Formats: sequence, structure tokens, C-alpha cells
Amino acid sequence: MLIFASSDKGGTGRSVTSCNLAYRLSLLGRDVAYLDFDFGSPTAGAIFEIPKMERGTPDGGLHSYILGEATEPARVDVRKMTERTSLQERPPGSGKLTLFPGDFGGAEFHLTDNHIKAAMKLFHDVEREFDVCIVDLSAGRSSALDISLNAISPRVRKKKQDKDKDRIRWLLFHRWTTQHVIAAGGLLFGDKGIVPYAMEVGFKRADFMRLVRTVRTAVPDTSAFGEKTTAEQTLWVTRSDDHLKALAKGRSLGQDLLAGTTPLEPMLLWREQVIMDLDVNRRLAKPATAQAFDKLATKVDDDEAWEGI
Amino acid sequence: MRIQPRKQILDIWRSMLAECYRDQKWIWGGRVESNPISDAEQLLCMLYPITQIETFAVHDPDATQPDVLRALRPLGPEATKIPRTLVDVALDYFQNHTDEREEPRFAAGSYLRGMSQDAPVPQDEGLQRLEVVDGYSMSITLCLTLLAFVNDREEHETNSGQHRKLVDLRDRASRRLTAAMVGLLRSFVVNSVSPESSQGRAILEMLRQGDTTDAELAQGLKIRFDRLRAQLKTDLRLSVPEESKPEEDQLFECGWSWGIAKDAKVITEYAADSSMSSKAGIAQPRPWLYFTVSALDGIVDLNSRRIRALNIFTPEQRSLAEALALRWDLTQNYWSAVARFDPERWPLEDIPWRTSDGQESDYYSLLVVSVLIQDLIARTATDADLIKAVGIIEELARRGRITQRMTPDDAAMALHYPGVPQGLVGSEVVVGTTLALYTSDYAPLIIKRALQAAQLTDNVEAREALMNVAEAAMDHLDERRMTRDGESVELWDDVSHFPGLESLTFQGPSWYFTERVVEALVATAATYEKEPPRSSRMYDHLLRLLNEADHVYNKAMLRSNVDDRSTLRDRLGEIGQLIKRARELRRRRTSTAIALSERALRLLDALEQADEDAGRSR
Repeated sequence: MLIFASSDKGGTGRSVTSCNLAYRLSLLGRDVAYLDFDFGSPTAGAIFEIPKMERGTPDGGLHSYILGEATEPARVDVRKMTERTSLQERPPGSGKLTLFPGDFGGAEFHLTDNHIKAAMKLFHDVEREFDVCIVDLSAGRSSALDISLNAISPRVRKKKQDKDKDRIRWLLFHRWTTQHVIAAGGLLFGDKGIVPYAMEVGFKRADFMRLVRTVRTAVPDTSAFGEKTTAEQTLWVTRSDDHLKALAKGRSLGQDLLAGTTPLEPMLLWREQVIMDLDVNRRLAKPATAQAFDKLATKVDDDEAWEGI
Repeated sequence: MRIQPRKQILDIWRSMLAECYRDQKWIWGGRVESNPISDAEQLLCMLYPITQIETFAVHDPDATQPDVLRALRPLGPEATKIPRTLVDVALDYFQNHTDEREEPRFAAGSYLRGMSQDAPVPQDEGLQRLEVVDGYSMSITLCLTLLAFVNDREEHETNSGQHRKLVDLRDRASRRLTAAMVGLLRSFVVNSVSPESSQGRAILEMLRQGDTTDAELAQGLKIRFDRLRAQLKTDLRLSVPEESKPEEDQLFECGWSWGIAKDAKVITEYAADSSMSSKAGIAQPRPWLYFTVSALDGIVDLNSRRIRALNIFTPEQRSLAEALALRWDLTQNYWSAVARFDPERWPLEDIPWRTSDGQESDYYSLLVVSVLIQDLIARTATDADLIKAVGIIEELARRGRITQRMTPDDAAMALHYPGVPQGLVGSEVVVGTTLALYTSDYAPLIIKRALQAAQLTDNVEAREALMNVAEAAMDHLDERRMTRDGESVELWDDVSHFPGLESLTFQGPSWYFTERVVEALVATAATYEKEPPRSSRMYDHLLRLLNEADHVYNKAMLRSNVDDRSTLRDRLGEIGQLIKRARELRRRRTSTAIALSERALRLLDALEQADEDAGRSR
């Protein structure tokens, strides 16, 4: 399965949520590959706490591979290379967790047929080796996003013979504020948005929309106001939430399209990292955060739950 | 106790789902085996609040309230799944209660009992032919609810397979609705009797209150009933059989029998292909008060503004609704004339009410109250009439041992358990013995009527009295909740705490009763949704307060330094806001506005005291 992670703006929590999703999927027993396609600023290394890869790999990353400068993309076993000792353990029954880092100092580049072909080959190879491949795209309409859409277009993607269903998911991450909801709607449906472009490269609209789901990140509740909340604040938050829901629905980003919601997690405000059950047991992370990541992983993994019928 | 519809309905849902939704399967039936009426009631426990109260709606997953979502979680982990599960359950209902020729089934089945409590009910084929008006009117409520739900749901359903289910559900609900309307139409009866017959004497006895002379009585009958008599005789749309038309010297009653009347005409103008239009009736052709009120309630729903606005009827259904509305009008006028025959002393005040077949019960008085409330809604009764009705409702609450204690061997006990038997005269032709339907909804009915009445008045004392009755009845219901593993759950009905009934055990929830409680809660919610009543005396008081506050405030402003940026300026600003807000609220929330004005006055006085203190000379 291929999962693409896109977002309207920077700072939505796309990468940190995707890394956590990858981690949770591996706990469910899936072999997971994490492809850092955030060519402008590859950060997955930092989130998985792999030294010397905080900002990508110095040689042979995905950037070089797409450009044709490397024959094989660099890869690291996250559990082996992470500095975080608790993450090094591989719990019984869990699957592989492998990072394909981006290049240190890599930049966005132009869209060419060769780039698309390289991406197709990459996807083909990792799909064969792993159960789940998460492709973390740069924010907005980037060339990484365009290359990806071209590489999965029905024009070029061969029908799998053994399975009737081609398992691709397209996640759109956005924060739970008025501006982010509007921006996310624009990125997906706007004139220069993802959906029109997907149709341009050969998707039928309905077919593509079946792949798309949203994730609402860092959704606050009243506790964001502090320990003691006034009645007025509680009422205000509830009403604002209702208004946002209506706004999201109006922009076609309603419940039908919702894959999951992650709560505002104070730990992640200070440091982007993997939230382990250990962090919850130490009373550092909120239990709801770990549950939300776990729920998202379960949903992504289950075809029926994903379709939501 | 204070009635809290939101909390209570959600609690009922939780208890209900724990009871009848296991392993993602809906379990039909409760105290009695599944039958079309009980199953409709069971489904309505869930769907009625969902479609009637805005904040309980689930058709739009983006607007579903979080507490509703949590209560309904067993139906689906997500807001999108819940309405889909409900659609499946509703489709299952139609699957179960439709016969092999695609005709809806209405038989009362397991609801029927012998005329005496313990008499066995013959289990034969004939039982399936016994349909009662309750079945039709409950189906009307259910189908209208489902049609409204499908309507709301349609624009939010994006999945095409699910969309097809909605279309299927609409078809089935619509077909059943037509059949139920035809059934109701064919159960309408007119019963004409001579004043000397036993029925005639019973009617006259109920009408004659105090020292009415024969001449006064005759005069009253003429004024009150001549127009109705003329309409029954001449209005072709009513198609009253020749032999039922009231002669000049006859008394008459009109309303609903317990089922399709014996010798009811075959209907050819509507739904001619449905067996409902032609099947032979067996019910004795005279009105039963209980079934009349049940039909009247159902028809009110059919012709409500809300349903009309939805535009869900087929042309055939529209004609049927009109035909039923015509009979509704006539019946309402008839019973209203009977209930208030003598304006000085209403027959309705003479509790208990006696029916023309000689039965008397407080329950019948409560049923007639509903006719009176409809008069109030239609503004053919006045506020003075309402005050009188309040007295009657309070009296019925006392007599029904809702506001009073129940004693051993209390005659009122039978109102609640086993209920008032409605003998289905004519059923013996089919099953060999006369069967009965037991009605035990006295307590929830009192809540519903008290709250309907409360909505109609701005008389604060009358509202207070009605709310007190409703709250007392809710206390009474609270004690009748069932127990599961030693804990009370929000399901009914368990009366083992009544003196003398300690040995009884009650298994399975009664959906008949639980649905009535839900209806009462929905009626309460509707009352709360409205703005509180206004009182002109309070309004006068408010204007005086505002006037003084304004005056003192203006004076303080006049004397305060415009360049001041201190806390004093803030305080004056706050007072100005209070006065402004009080003015905005003066009509909508008079009492709130008074509270705000009072606060403004107190704050102004504190400033004045400081001012005075500073200016005092030793």
C-alpha cells in the first residue's frame, strides 16, 4: 500500500503525524517504509532521532535518486540507527520500520519524464518489499506532489494481477483553524489544486476522491485555555468547533472525508517526536494522542474502515 | 424532579442499545414478542428524538453533537456510520412486517390479550387478521419520521450504494404510509342511537350536568349538534353508510372504531390495488374514545406544517390526508361539543368520564383533555378555559396517584397496571373470544398533555401548576424504571413497588411504554425550546427600573471627566453595557433584563455612596 501525506501549509504536523503513523503501523505488524519526499526540508531523521540525519542524508538520498544521481536510494533501519533507546527495541509481532531519507540541502526541482519514471520505479520497488509505504510530500503544490501524482496515474500504473484493489491512500493534513480549513480546501479543490491536477494526469474525479481523506491535526479542546476554564470559554470553544465543522463541510472537507483527528499534544509543541505508549505511561504525553495515532493506523490498514461503510 | 430531556433521552438510548443491539445486530421485541406496533415503537424510541429535536439530529455527520455520538457509539464508531446503521435497522423493520405479496402487515399480534388478564389468547391464523387503529396511527408516525429522516439524510449521503438504500427505504415507508392511511380512513365510524337505548341514555347522562332541565338539554343538543348532524347526513365526501346517518330524533357519536369497521365500504378512489382498500372489516361500528384520540393524534402529524413543508406526499397520499383531515375536523368538533356541552359545568369536569357503552375511567377523562387541548391550539378555547383545564389535569394527577400516594388495593392501580382494557368487540368472530388491548400510558400521557397545555399560555401561575404536574409524573415514572444487575436503567416498565404487587417480576422492556416516555420527553424539549412566557406586570416593573437606571447613569456621565482613563471610567462603561443589554432583552427575557438593570442600579449606588462620602463635611 502507498500512502501519500500532503498538507496545505508548513507547520501542520504532517511529518510528525506521518512518522507516528509509520511507527504505529509497524507495531500492528506491518513492514513500513517511510519515504521522505519533503525535498525542501527533510525532517523525518530528526523525528526518528537519527543522528547526522536531522536534515537529510549527506549522500544518495531520495533527491539524488529521483535526479538519477544515485542508482539505489539510501535507506536506514530506524530501530537500528535511532538514538532513542526505547525506540530501538522491536516489540514482538511488530514489522520493519525503514526510513528512505531525503538529501541534506536538497531543493525542489522541475518535473520531467525521467523524474516520473524514477519515482515509478521507486514506488514499485518499495511496494514489493514493504506492506506500507508512506510518502511524505512537501507542503502545498510541490514538484514532489506532481511527480507522485504522475507516477500513480492510471495511465502508467499497471493493474495488479493478484489483487483486485490497488491500495493507494492520499492523506491531506490540516490544522483545525479557520484559515487552515480554507487553505486545505483550496489545495485540494482549487483551480491549481490536487484534484484538478489528478484529473489532468488521467484520474477520474470519483476514483481519485475515493483515495483522499483528511486528518485534522493538533485539534485543541478547552484545556488549551489552561488548567481552569471559565464557563464562557467552554461555551465559546464548543460553538467555535461547531462553526468550524460547518465551514469544513461547506468546503467539502466534512466527516465523509475524515480519516482521523489528532489532539493538541503539548509534548509535540516543544519537540517533534514519536509518541510511544511509554511516554503516556510516564504521564508526559496525553493518552488521547497515542490513541489517536493508533486509531488512524488501524483505519488506514483496514479497507472497510477506510471506505467508511 | 426537574425534567431534563437531553440527559434522559441519551440515557434511554444507552440503556436501549445495551438491551437490544448486540454484536452489531438489532434485536426486536421486548416484554412481548416482536409485532409491527411494538417494533415501530422500539424504533421510534430512537428515531423520534432524532427527527424532532434539532440538537439530536444525526443525518449530518458534521453537525452531530459529541454527546449524541457517544451515546450512539454502539451503532457505529463514527458519525457517518450511525445514520447508515439506522437505515439498515429500518429496512429490517419493513422486511419483517411485509408479506410475500409486498403488502405491509399491521396485525397487533402479541399485544392482544383476553378480556380478563389471565384468559389465554387463542394462537390461530385468525390472530393475524386482527389489526387495530393503534397499528395504523403508530405506522403513520413511524413512516413520517422515516420519510423526514430520508429527506434530511439524502443530501449528506455520498456513497452510491447507501443512496440506493435510502431510495428503497423511502419507497417502503411511503407504501406503508398509504396503507396505514387507508386503514385509518376505513376505521372511521358514525354511530346513531335512539335516546331511549342504553347507549343513548349513557350519552345523555354524561351531557346532563347539575340541574339541567329537559328543555335546556334539548335546546343544547340542537345548538351544539345540529350542524354536525346535517354534515354527516349530506356531505358525500364522508360516505357515511345510509343506516348510520343520524335521524332528527337520534343521538350520535363519531370517531374511530378499534379497526376497520364491519361493513366498511371498499375504497376505490385511493390505493385500489392495496388489499387494505378492500379487506373485510370486523370491528363493531361505534367509536372507542381511546382509538379516536389515537387516530386524531396521528392525523395531526399528517397535516402538520412541518410535514407539509417537506413535501413528501404522493398525490394519492395528499388526497388521503385531506379525507382524514375532514374526519378529524368533524370528530374534533363533536367531542369538543360533548366535553364542554354545558359552559357552566363541563361534562369533562365530571370525573371519571363515562363512555356510551357504560365504561368509566379517569383514563377516559384524560383522553378527552387532549380534545380540549386541540381546541386551545386552534384558539376555539380561551385562556379561561385553559385555567379550567389546569384544574382538571391536576385532579387527574391526584386521582391517578401521581401527586398522591398509592394505597393497598387502590382502584387507581389498574390505570397503571395492567392498564385499561379496550375490548375489541367483533374480534370474537375471528378468534372465538373477544380480545382486548391494554392501555397503561396514564402517567406519560399526563406529562404530554400538561406540557402541551403549558405551551399555550403566558399565564405564569397556570404554567407553574402544569410543570408541577409534569414533574411529579416524571418522579412517578422514575420509580417505574426497570432494574438490570441491581441498577436502575432507563427502560420501562416495572411496578413491583406498588403496594400488593411486590411478588411480580418484569422481564424485558415494554417498548409501548418506553416509547410513550420518549414522546413525553420530546414534548418537554419542545416546550423548553420556546422563549419563556412574558408577563405584562414584569414588563412594567422593568421599564421603571430601566428608567431610573438610565436617569442616574446619564447624570453620572454628565459629571464625570471625559478624559478620565481610570477604573471609574471602566465601571461606568460596564454599567452602560448592562443597561444596553437589558434594553435589548426587554421583550424576550424580561426577568433577565430586570436582573441586569438591578445590577446596574446597585453599581451606580456604590458610586453615589462614594461620592456622598467624599462630599460630607465633618
